[in-house]
Amino acid sequence: MPIRKHSQHVKLFKNKGKDETTLRRQRVEVSVELRKAKKDEQILKRRNISIHVKEENPSLGRDRADEIIQPSLEEIVEAVNGDDTQLQLLATQATRRILSRHKDPPINQVIELGIIPRMVEFLGRTDNAALQFEAAWALTNIASGTSEHTRAVVEGGAIPAFISLLSSPHMHISEQSVWALGNIAGDGPLYRDALIARDVIPPLLALVSPATPVGFLRNITWTLSNLCRNKNPCPPLDAVQKILPVLIFLLQHEDKDVISDSCWAVSYLTDGCNDRIQVVVETGILPRLVELMGSPDLNVMTPALRAIGNVVTGTDQQTQDAIDAGVLTVLPHLLRHTKPVIQKEAAWTLSNIAAGPSQQIQQIITYGLLPPLVEVLDKGDFKAQKEAVWVVANFTTGGTVDQVVELVRSGVLKPLLNLLLAKDSKTILIILDTISNLFLAAEKLGETEKLCFLMEELGGLEKIEDLQNHENDTVYRAALNLIEKYFSGEENTDLEPQTGQDGLYDFSVEKQDFNF
Amino acid sequence: LLFSQRVLLLVASDVDALCACKILQALFHCDHVQYTLVPVAGWQELETAFLEHKDQFKYFVLINCGANVDLLEILQPEEDTLFFVCDSHRPINVVNVYNDTQIKLLVKQDDDLDVPAYDDIFRDEEDEEEDSEHESDGSEPSEKRRRFEEEVIERTMKRRQRREWEARRREILFDYEQYEYHGTSSAMVMFDLAWIMSKDLNDMLWWAIVGLTDQWVQDKITQMKYVTDIGILQRHVSRHNHRNEDEENSLSIDCMRIAFEYDLRLALYQHWSLYESLCNTSYTSASLKLWSVQGQKRLQEFLADMGLPLKQVKQKFNSMDMSLKENLREMIEESANKFGMKDLRVQTFSIHFGFKNKFSASDIVYATTSLMENIEKEGHETTNFIKALDSLSRGNLDKLHQGLDLAKKQLRAIQQTVASCICTNLVISQGPFLYCSLMEGTPDVKLFSKPVSLCLLSKYLLKSFVCSTKNKRCKLLPLVMAAPMDVEQGTVIMVGIPPETESSDKKNFFGRAFEKAAESTNSRTLHNHFEMSIIELKTEDRSKFLDALISLLS
Repeated sequence: MPIRKHSQHVKLFKNKGKDETTLRRQRVEVSVELRKAKKDEQILKRRNISIHVKEENPSLGRDRADEIIQPSLEEIVEAVNGDDTQLQLLATQATRRILSRHKDPPINQVIELGIIPRMVEFLGRTDNAALQFEAAWALTNIASGTSEHTRAVVEGGAIPAFISLLSSPHMHISEQSVWALGNIAGDGPLYRDALIARDVIPPLLALVSPATPVGFLRNITWTLSNLCRNKNPCPPLDAVQKILPVLIFLLQHEDKDVISDSCWAVSYLTDGCNDRIQVVVETGILPRLVELMGSPDLNVMTPALRAIGNVVTGTDQQTQDAIDAGVLTVLPHLLRHTKPVIQKEAAWTLSNIAAGPSQQIQQIITYGLLPPLVEVLDKGDFKAQKEAVWVVANFTTGGTVDQVVELVRSGVLKPLLNLLLAKDSKTILIILDTISNLFLAAEKLGETEKLCFLMEELGGLEKIEDLQNHENDTVYRAALNLIEKYFSGEENTDLEPQTGQDGLYDFSVEKQDFNF
Repeated sequence: LLFSQRVLLLVASDVDALCACKILQALFHCDHVQYTLVPVAGWQELETAFLEHKDQFKYFVLINCGANVDLLEILQPEEDTLFFVCDSHRPINVVNVYNDTQIKLLVKQDDDLDVPAYDDIFRDEEDEEEDSEHESDGSEPSEKRRRFEEEVIERTMKRRQRREWEARRREILFDYEQYEYHGTSSAMVMFDLAWIMSKDLNDMLWWAIVGLTDQWVQDKITQMKYVTDIGILQRHVSRHNHRNEDEENSLSIDCMRIAFEYDLRLALYQHWSLYESLCNTSYTSASLKLWSVQGQKRLQEFLADMGLPLKQVKQKFNSMDMSLKENLREMIEESANKFGMKDLRVQTFSIHFGFKNKFSASDIVYATTSLMENIEKEGHETTNFIKALDSLSRGNLDKLHQGLDLAKKQLRAIQQTVASCICTNLVISQGPFLYCSLMEGTPDVKLFSKPVSLCLLSKYLLKSFVCSTKNKRCKLLPLVMAAPMDVEQGTVIMVGIPPETESSDKKNFFGRAFEKAAESTNSRTLHNHFEMSIIELKTEDRSKFLDALISLLS
């Protein structure tokens, strides 16, 4: 899971207390939940598929029923355990068939038959390719189920058998083994590392060549991505270093699915501590990833953006590498993307760049990211707006006074103040924090009153006043604090006609921008 | 059907629609529903009226228009707009049938609609999406994947099945939309509604009768359907009018009474002379072939056979000898049988206003139609409509009489035009259909730029032609008729009608055929009428359009 920059990083610029750190941690949790929800969504989608397909299945089944009579489970057990190779093949095929139907494959029943060890044994029948293939397919489908299902396959001894089948002279068998190993690796870090310990990587990588058919290559890429996937722990460093060159080769492929899964693999590898990010950065792949971020294909753009987003959670230098690779030229388009998810991820990425040193903040300004940022704050999807609030918060924390003035001039204040009406008290708190940062900057310029006036004119004061009735105690206190500090009593006396003596930082200039 | 908001009533220009409108107005009046009435003669007007009023209104009632097109597609209404559609045009557009949020169809339960099953014509969006294979949504790859049975085969099977489904859908829709016809009269449907609400009045019943009679006069429904519906209305008539039977003498002057009758199929005869009526009724005129010298002779023989003196026959029916009138119907029928006119007797209804005024339902239809399509005074577009609508109210006898006078002129004009077309051989066989085109400058040609009048003319002409021709094949052909529409703009109005046969199902395929022919030749046509078989067409495009129509139907 990508995380926000490490708390030390934040503290460096914020000098805030515990509150801030807790806030950040909670954000991570939220984003974990979101990703999870997304996955659930997808599962639902897959179910949809099978529901739909079932209508067509009867006719398909009928066609086949004409040729083959489906044996009963008892008959299968008997044949599989018997000595007649012909019957073994037929029974394995029958098993594979029932496990391949779209609706309710009887995985549990098949496991309960106790035939998995025998199927694993069939994987080793180099003299009988058909039997090897059918057994591989059947086991693949068993392993595609729950963790328990996968375990049954692994405990049947399938890992070494499949790994040696990777080098089978028959391509369809080796491809089926890649698939099965992908399912096992996808179960979690435990089996992933068990595979790596069994040296799955060299024979797997050996399958990648310019001559490999695309369909096969997709399977390999997906399995590789599963070998990079999951944390706690991350995959072993030496394994990663073996896989990376091949991933970089695959990222140059023309097939969108291959690129997409390779990007996902890189995004998994960058989702970790800075050392892991460093390993990826050093391959020099960042420019290519930035390029893919601009792809019109959502399946490519999404993981590429995720990978780059992960990189900028790293050190200042790693973030600078991403900037040098051109991330700031692509982000404006993504902030304006029609898909809310993309907007959100882009804003998240930007928020981490804004948490960097002022030179990087300056680059955000130079590359023209303020206008799209204001647009997201103003009209974006709510989740994207929340991320955009973080951008502003980080910006006002680490930016110089000049940079903060630039930010206010870009029209950020009005949409930011509007978001005080949000239902989410965390967001409100961050905004109040940001406002207080703005006042700090204004104080340095001696423009506090002008900022007060601006706030009032944009309806901000009213909203802050209302927040004193907020049910959340922290919000109430933060709002009260602002009011007491900047809006108490005699503010109206000599405020209006005053034009700034030092025209340079005159906030009234910004007013015109808002009207525009 | 209770509204708290104002309702916009959009009413087509035909007598059945007017009658339905009268009934609905009475119901609205009863329930204090506020409404605005806008007459619409065609699609363009319907669209304009909708655009003009869509901001002020949420409820729209469409009478005799709107059922046979995809309303939502055409009008692009807001989501909270609601349409109530009472329309006898068939087939009903399938989208209208299956939209249950914005479109409410008022249809008689037992009408045989033959609407295709939902699953045969619609597919859920989800399925569509799925067929475009794995959609690009940028989601993370799944952690585990099962290998399905022969994915490739399945996908191609799916695609094949989809193609088959689509082909089947096209076929089903083609069959469904191929023929245009008419369902139960909208006035009758509206009356049913009133009856269900227990708010039916004798006036409403009369309008329902006129609505049905309009369908019969315009030849829109089968004889079978007509007789069935007459039977339904007859039950209502006896329910509403029975109490008067034994106390007939106590009828007050302004009392109205409806009676079922076997009457003569002679247009307007009670307000005309018998002779004029015989000459200008399509049925008698065609059967006797009155356009020829022999025909005129046959008419004399026919009158002689009845034993009616010519003097009596030619004077006003009202002034005829009472003694002659007494057994008139029987006498005429008897002689008509001898002359091969076996269907001179029809089941219909008449209405009495007090003692003096008696009208048969068809009288009202002719009168109202003529008022509606009056070409004499070019007042405001809607004047004719309002006049026609008013003539249906029982208090407006003068308007009704004015309508009767116009109707006589119209019938005479039709008859004369029919005679001249037959005598000058203007009806030509084009192979798959007969064709007749009225030239600019023909007497009364302006009258036939109006759709209902042109349809009546076409039907009368076809009837007469079938009686006059000896060509057996031609007797079975449909007719396409064209008349000048707007000389300045160089347009003609063209109508296609189904063949004139005993067992005709009154289904009309010209709507689709016109559409196709126009499409394939890029003719500048305008399908503006609610009746799809009436189109407007640029004069110079006519010949290529006809050529396309011929090859299309051959």
